Amino acid sequence: MPKQKPSVWWLLAMLAAIAMLVAACAEEEDVVDDEVDDEPVEDVEEEDPDEEEPEEEAVEDVEGDFVIGVSNTLVGNQWREQMVCSIQAESLASGMVSDVVLANRDTDASGQIADIEGLIGQGVDAIIVNPHDRTALDDVIAAADEQGIIVISVDQAVTAEQAYNVTNDQVAYGELGGRWLFEQLDGEGNVAYMRGGDGAPADQDRDEGFQAALADFPDIEIISEVFTGWDPSTGASQALDIITTEDVDGIWTSGIDYPVVEQFEAAGEDFVPVVGADNNGFIEQLIELADDGLTGAVVTNPPPVGGVATAIAIDLLTGREDHPQDTILTPEVYDNIDDMAALEDLYLPDLPQGFVATMEFEGYTTYTQEQVLECEGP
Amino acid sequence: MTTATDERATSPATTPGARLQRWLRRHGWTIGVWLLLLAFILWYATLIPAFGEFQIASIARNSLPTVYLALAQSVVVIAGGIDLGIGALMVLANSASALLMEDQSFAMTLVIAVGVVLGAAFLNALVGLVIAVSEIPDVVVTLGMLFVYSGLALLVLPSPGGGTSPGLRFLFTGSETGVGTNYWMPILMLALPTALLAWWMTRSRRGLSLYAIGSDLGAAYLSGVSIRRAKVVSYAVAGGFAGLAGIALTTLANSGDPRFINALNALLASLAAVVLGGIVLGGGVGSVVGAVAAGIILFTLNPILTAMGIDPNTTQVVRGVLIVLVMMVAGLLEWRRRRAE
Repeated sequence: MPKQKPSVWWLLAMLAAIAMLVAACAEEEDVVDDEVDDEPVEDVEEEDPDEEEPEEEAVEDVEGDFVIGVSNTLVGNQWREQMVCSIQAESLASGMVSDVVLANRDTDASGQIADIEGLIGQGVDAIIVNPHDRTALDDVIAAADEQGIIVISVDQAVTAEQAYNVTNDQVAYGELGGRWLFEQLDGEGNVAYMRGGDGAPADQDRDEGFQAALADFPDIEIISEVFTGWDPSTGASQALDIITTEDVDGIWTSGIDYPVVEQFEAAGEDFVPVVGADNNGFIEQLIELADDGLTGAVVTNPPPVGGVATAIAIDLLTGREDHPQDTILTPEVYDNIDDMAALEDLYLPDLPQGFVATMEFEGYTTYTQEQVLECEGP
Repeated sequence: MTTATDERATSPATTPGARLQRWLRRHGWTIGVWLLLLAFILWYATLIPAFGEFQIASIARNSLPTVYLALAQSVVVIAGGIDLGIGALMVLANSASALLMEDQSFAMTLVIAVGVVLGAAFLNALVGLVIAVSEIPDVVVTLGMLFVYSGLALLVLPSPGGGTSPGLRFLFTGSETGVGTNYWMPILMLALPTALLAWWMTRSRRGLSLYAIGSDLGAAYLSGVSIRRAKVVSYAVAGGFAGLAGIALTTLANSGDPRFINALNALLASLAAVVLGGIVLGGGVGSVVGAVAAGIILFTLNPILTAMGIDPNTTQVVRGVLIVLVMMVAGLLEWRRRRAE
């Protein structure tokens, strides 16, 4: 059909139309941004008492205009969304950033390299990257470094020596939760080991920690080891299988936690101790089902690593403070036996189950929880 | 539906003006897509502070996998089929080549590359053979192959890894590290396979037989074209290009990635490129040269939309709207032409 067409001009006209359409979209967004900025902050939940924001602003009213680029290869994932929002929020709260450029799409290592090249071309001052692969970004990070761009890898470390790494300690994550569970079982019993994504660096690190804890408890038997792929529905069906067919005394999950607890209720089985992450839904269950016999522990895996990386990037850009090449954030463990108050503190009744309840990171982030929820950059 | 073949046979060469008009009419869509690409690149240049060799090199090399896969899909679609397994075959080639090429010499990686391309061509030729012999619709068989190839990729390389030689990276990306400002190598790697394929499709007897079976199976049969052979050839050529796409991916990232999502993304991009490139789903019409520009456009949209600061989640919407708009313009042009006749 189209092949016989004479008109190049039609295509050009179409291009112009698309350009206008897209430009209109972009403008509209700017307008929305402004509106949101003007809105008064309302309904402040609980302010961190030692929030340093006002003081900091007074000390330095230098208006920075740094541009921060973000490269993320997994979209539609709650944790990653919150990570990106914490970058936006910290950029806004710092007053030192004029723009956050997001290269955010589902892609692979080669796509991420292309995205980072695009960010370099945009003249960003720092790039925060959640790496798809430990080693594949080495060369593009070196290229960014040559242009004087600061690269910070969050969530997972990269091998590039020029990059700063800001990560949650995943080895400790696996070990702390495992140890809590084995101690809960008095060092004896059948444990189901519900891991995350097969081959993912974070899963491998958590396994290292989990195995280290397991080595200290010879009478704990792993009766089932599965990969949830960090997918709630996969995890739910695997959990249903395990609790209806196996004699299980405890379950360790790599963050697919509230769907597992739901399966106990669905199957009408008695609860066994469950280890999960700081997902809002799991915290709710730990609080509300404590009287029905559910015991469990939350091991935090805070998405604010994005905000922490932003704060570090700004420190490095302004020369205000130097930071070590690797910043490793240690997770906290809260169970519903001794730390009920901490859990109630974390719990966010108005937010969905999958929302990660840790929203700030003391000592680094300066934003308010509302700024994270609004997810608007400068 | 007219094909490139009988159009050439029936239109007599007359005055230079008429010849130009005829040439424009035949290649109007392809030229239009290339102009659209040029406009996109110029637009991108105005959006970022500094546009230069680095950006041209980046666009050229990072488009390679999409373009090769667009070429692969074009061949099958022109021959009246559709290959839903093509993205997964690319992922399989990517996984296998990254596994085999790690820590090998340049010469060895070159041999492996040729082997992977031939192997992919052979595998997909078998798929074409199954379709031709069983007469099961292309969609059904190749949908099955999407899962078969993906599974094989995971068997070969369970999690991302592998590597390749600096020499092979230079060959595809123009730089031994995969990052740099040399844009001649990737442009050559875009142009050379495209030129060869375009020449083969429009100048060789076998290439023309693909247009023939895509246009009208009955007429092709009556004029002595071996339909089965043409079908198998179309899938084999597509397989070879999918293999090439997989190797390009290996050289870009210096690793392989077997995950299913990559196969799906690549498949959808190849179909979008074919449609945008002016190749009619159903077969017989279109030029692989148009699909190349469309493939590069689809890649270039990413940095453009990022540079414009558009919400990343809107990017997919814009891409979809672009495809629909292009198809509507195509429909409008067709309607005008029909009315004029």
